[in-house]
Amino acid sequence: MSGVRTLLGLGLLVAGSRLLRIKSETIACRSGPTWWRPQRLNSGGRWDSEVMASTAVKYLSQEEAQAVDQELFNEYQFSVDQLMELAGLSCATAIAKAYPPTSMSRSPPTVLVICGPGNNGGDGLVCARHLKLFGYEPTIYYPKRPNKPLFTALVTQCQKMDIPFLGEMPSEPTMIDELYELVVDAIFGFSFKGDVREPFHSILSVLKGLTVPIASIDIPSGAGTQKVGQGRLGPYPPDSCPHQV
Amino acid sequence: MSSAAGPDPSEAPEERRFLRSLQPQLPDMGRAELSSNATTSLAWGRQSWLEQIWNTLAVCQSTAEAAALERELLEDYRFGRQQLVELCGHASAVAVTKAFPLPALSRKQRTVLVVCGPEQNGAVGLVCARHLRVFEYEPTIFYPMRSLDLLHRDLTTQCEKMDIPFLSYLPTEVQLINEAYGLVVDAVLGPGVEPGKVGGPCTRALATLKLLSIPLVSLDIPSGWDAETGSDAEDGLRPDVLVSLAAPKRCAGRFSGRHHFVAGRFVPDDVRRKFALRLPGYTGTDCVAAL
Repeated sequence: MSGVRTLLGLGLLVAGSRLLRIKSETIACRSGPTWWRPQRLNSGGRWDSEVMASTAVKYLSQEEAQAVDQELFNEYQFSVDQLMELAGLSCATAIAKAYPPTSMSRSPPTVLVICGPGNNGGDGLVCARHLKLFGYEPTIYYPKRPNKPLFTALVTQCQKMDIPFLGEMPSEPTMIDELYELVVDAIFGFSFKGDVREPFHSILSVLKGLTVPIASIDIPSGAGTQKVGQGRLGPYPPDSCPHQV
Repeated sequence: MSSAAGPDPSEAPEERRFLRSLQPQLPDMGRAELSSNATTSLAWGRQSWLEQIWNTLAVCQSTAEAAALERELLEDYRFGRQQLVELCGHASAVAVTKAFPLPALSRKQRTVLVVCGPEQNGAVGLVCARHLRVFEYEPTIFYPMRSLDLLHRDLTTQCEKMDIPFLSYLPTEVQLINEAYGLVVDAVLGPGVEPGKVGGPCTRALATLKLLSIPLVSLDIPSGWDAETGSDAEDGLRPDVLVSLAAPKRCAGRFSGRHHFVAGRFVPDDVRRKFALRLPGYTGTDCVAAL
């Protein structure tokens, strides 16, 4: 979900669970030289940069990722809108770093963003909007749209910014290769389970035949989170995977 | 996106009318900008006097225009307020990192006091504090007049849960603040908010901040300045850094501190044209641009 991607995209390290266990104390005013630095239970433990630098990046299981999400929404009162915005912005930034406009043939570079039916798709919509602001020319394919205000609003934002929405998916990989220099896969996220249903099964088949690079948001769509660690990358090998570096 | 060689009179008749209406006052604006610390990017002196004024007015928004732009984004573009506040707060934090890069700061200098008012400017301050935390600064928040609306409450929770302390009071002795923190972020008042409306603790905090000797960063407008004329610029807050949100406001013409940034890269091209905004060119994926 958006929460995990936001954390990783912003460079936070989840490994130590420090973030999840920190409880804030009621801050009392004190007079004297330490009025600004009240005592806290974990007196050693603020964001010690040495600790952060020495902790390796951890790859999360599906359960862990869902648990982090729950913590962010329930305990930290983040909203889906907030985290989705940060996630999409982070993804667009990562993609722009991996494929800077100056390295692309067209000006502006053309990008196809394929959005799935859930929050991964929402991340894709935000990502597309920021790519447009960064000087790319995104096009969106969004076949299954949840009837929720969050998603309809994100669609409106893209439409008002003149980002076209395709009526149908190009049926041949070569058609995509000719029109677009990069494809963003925002189809399924880490909470995906089970079989891939249409139209996404056909979409993923087309993506398998692409020669242009694919950037997958969070995980390559269709890949089980558990399986990635064992070397399987899902139905196709993406060229870059924001948040899974 | 940045302004071209010079003003195009055909593009913005509103600015020309405003320019004419201000004619008697323009000499005052011309004198206001000079100070020993001023490195304003408007490059006074390299352009003709008239061009300088034109460029100031062409890029700066009136309070009414800023409100209209926000309405367009919220109503026509269906942005959520939370989205825009998050983007502004994040970009404000990035601006702070540009003005005060972390590697150059001592441990004490990384401590940041963020003073938040009860309205939207304060909400942006709460988001800014949270992102400063993520960026490894050490923010502390003074937020005495807490808004009851859900957005503010959730943003407060997020900061609390991330172990950002909230002060119960702010000392009136400015030296205590100078000694405790490396810099202060002023997120008290935005454009269109009456200074008298925010209550005693905020007013007292602003009085203390006027005497600050550590750097001050103001979000959107220096709190207490008249958003149109900047008429309190002389005896109001004198920030070192101004972070204009989305686009500079009219009073930014009176800003004479070290850095002026525009932060919050979300204004669609059509809106920018509709409001005749002349924003600086953002580079790459930056959400902050120096004016």
